[in-house]
Amino acid sequence: MIRTRKIVIIGLLVGLGLIMHFVETMLPLTAVVPGAKLGLANIVSLIGIVLFGFSGGLQIVLLRIIIGSLLAGTFMTINFYLSLSGGLLSFFMMYFVYEFFQDKFSLIGVSVIGAVTHNIGQIVIAYLIIENAAVFYYLPFLTLLAVPTGISVGLVSFFTVSYLPTSLTGR
Amino acid sequence: MKINDIITFYDKILIIMIIIASLLMLFAPFYYFQQGDSENLYLIIESNGKEVKRFPLENTFSKPVVFEVAGPIGIHKIEAYQGKVRVKEAPDDDPLKICEKTGWIEQQGPIIICVPNKIGIWIESSDAEVDGMSW
Repeated sequence: MIRTRKIVIIGLLVGLGLIMHFVETMLPLTAVVPGAKLGLANIVSLIGIVLFGFSGGLQIVLLRIIIGSLLAGTFMTINFYLSLSGGLLSFFMMYFVYEFFQDKFSLIGVSVIGAVTHNIGQIVIAYLIIENAAVFYYLPFLTLLAVPTGISVGLVSFFTVSYLPTSLTGR
Repeated sequence: MKINDIITFYDKILIIMIIIASLLMLFAPFYYFQQGDSENLYLIIESNGKEVKRFPLENTFSKPVVFEVAGPIGIHKIEAYQGKVRVKEAPDDDPLKICEKTGWIEQQGPIIICVPNKIGIWIESSDAEVDGMSW
């Protein structure tokens, strides 16, 4: 793919991810379980992995988290480190599964793994910050919620990728 | 297109395993975590401007613990039980017995004060000030 075209598409995906991130902060899922999110921005990370592989996907995840925290005013605060740890861990796990177990897991499985590892990364960092093992009490609630949200995110990504033109996906 | 055409066999195994693991984590250590919620809460008793007692509240779940703190007008009996704290008995010379009427406190924030005897009682946590909503 031409370099300029890649940059444009990465920029578009980052912008989409930012919008999804702010849309989901309006949904009151956090009131049910603290820290619970739909993970809509994960759609963009998944599409990034499918289209560009490791380096492009990592760029999308990092840019989305940094710009998102700058816009929300939480850059370099605890919130930022929580989303960074969750985002990076889930990205590495999703990339690993997508790259090496593509024949076994569909995008739904990849997305569920991403959602669960996102929660695990966040909880571990939260534990390191507040040093109270009680935060692990939230983990089962979060991972239970991660299953339906992960499946829906995986479905959305699957259909989006199947509608993309072949000049993008290369298949 | 149905979801069964997309989802693979390994996906289903993965999802079922995650659900089972979550339920196990949810129910198995329930007892432990209920106590863990208050594991870092301390009862602080201050007398005459000095801290005289610092007591972890996790030790008060099985049976009540009573402290006696002396001040200028007599002895206060302070009781801690099931993570809550109250003044059980104020000395007879205490005119208003406000500290006794304050009742139980069980979180950070409220404070029991006995002015005539110069005693302050409150609950403190050793955690950083991160609440659940900030993440």
